[in-house]
Amino acid sequence: MNVSRLFLIAAFTSACGDTGAAQRATPPPATPAEVAIKEGERKTSTDPAVNPNAAAMAEFKTRVDKYADLHKQLAKGAATQKETSDPAQINAAKTALAAKVQAARADAKQGDIFTPAIRPVFRRLLAPELKGEDGRDTKAVLKDDAPAPGTVPFKVNAKYPEDQPLPSVPANLLLTLPSLPAPLEYRVVGQHLLLLDTTADLIVDYILNAITT
Amino acid sequence: MRRLALIAVLLVSLPSATAGQELRLPNKEGSAKFAIIGDSGEPSTGQRAVARQLDAWRGRFPFEFILMTGDNLYGPERPKDYETKFSIPYKALIDGGVKFYASLGNHDDAGQIQYKLFNMDGKKYYSFKPKAGVRFFAIDSNYVDDKQLEWLDKELAASGSDWKIVFFHHPLYSSGATHGSADLQRELLEPTFLKHGVNVAFTGHEHFYERLKPQKGVAYFIIGSSAKLRKGDLQKSPLTVYGNDSEYAFMLAEIVGDELYFQAINDKGVTLDAGSIRRAGTVDPNPNVTTQPVVPQAKPSPVQPGPAKTK
Repeated sequence: MNVSRLFLIAAFTSACGDTGAAQRATPPPATPAEVAIKEGERKTSTDPAVNPNAAAMAEFKTRVDKYADLHKQLAKGAATQKETSDPAQINAAKTALAAKVQAARADAKQGDIFTPAIRPVFRRLLAPELKGEDGRDTKAVLKDDAPAPGTVPFKVNAKYPEDQPLPSVPANLLLTLPSLPAPLEYRVVGQHLLLLDTTADLIVDYILNAITT
Repeated sequence: MRRLALIAVLLVSLPSATAGQELRLPNKEGSAKFAIIGDSGEPSTGQRAVARQLDAWRGRFPFEFILMTGDNLYGPERPKDYETKFSIPYKALIDGGVKFYASLGNHDDAGQIQYKLFNMDGKKYYSFKPKAGVRFFAIDSNYVDDKQLEWLDKELAASGSDWKIVFFHHPLYSSGATHGSADLQRELLEPTFLKHGVNVAFTGHEHFYERLKPQKGVAYFIIGSSAKLRKGDLQKSPLTVYGNDSEYAFMLAEIVGDELYFQAINDKGVTLDAGSIRRAGTVDPNPNVTTQPVVPQAKPSPVQPGPAKTK
């Protein structure tokens, strides 16, 4: 979702809204965020009538939902995440949760969620965001917050290194990809896309060379 | 006679010793009084000095809470890190009943949302209303996805005519050489701010203090030098009203009616910058019309702030 393009779309939407009679109440113009969200929904739709990649998208959503359900099921007992003044309890719950997820997904491997069918779709969705002026900004953000090279293990079920910054994800990339259920988030490390469980700090899956820089 | 001369010298020198250390806020009873720190999670001498100053100034200006603009805990986040990077340096404030409201930076683990002393209520983004007429919104600028944008839109819309103050990590406007303005976040967040009449944004990420010219009606501050400094990084630009990248800093703020008063202070207790922002307009209650507040103009306080020590 090229943000400059979104501004044009938002401005156009706004201009169209002004064509009615002055007295008639018109809805407020769509903000670039609203336009971006709608555009993202279309690109990641599971409806074959609006998205040629609907089948792969539906499969991806089923898989991330399944992970989220598993996470919810496991985040109980000692692994319950609850507010506390004691940091030891926060860490203990996180460690317990990570251990339970690792055990429950002991056989998990790369491609279980980012299946071969969805990987090219993600690459196609991401590619336009790395082009032009916004693309330069996007690359700059990715570089800016990047963890030290070689510190993040590209391995399913591995822990994200606790002493490394968690790279921010440019908003334009997030809005062009399918929305994720909690606790999953996307992260870009180098040219690779990670699917991260942010509560257990675990790498759930990844796509190598998801973007070209 | 010699002793008298010495006393005279002391009396003359006293005012200059406290110069720049006077409170420049109205300190009115019942007003919203708070402080802001940023990039504060490094156990440095600067962090300890800032914490001491916050505690000392609280004696004169009884602020009730502190906003944190992110990077609350650098590096590992083991239980002892929560202590050495937060609860020990700020112990006097915590014991004094000051509440901290955190936002997440790129160095912060999501586990922090469960830490009671950060008052995040288990959420990466949240809002709170400490006083009638004032609402704060903590944004997770690391991950501005559709869910958060929709939440922000709804929360801001529901806040009516309150002061709307957002705080988050990545500055939408910045004159920093290392990071600079977060253009991509700005292109999505700023229109939402304008749609709902956000008045002030406090951010961090850059390890300096910068007050920027109000942009499209929103006043922007960067307070990211409460424990880390990046000397020489502030490239004073047309955006800059005042900046300082050579001293650790924090801010005190007070809202009285339609005025927000601010005072940025260094780790020695000396005022770096001060002024006020007038909120002259409010969002039209007509939901079909989007209006912006009148551009707030930061005006200098009667006493001029210290000279900018930036390049």
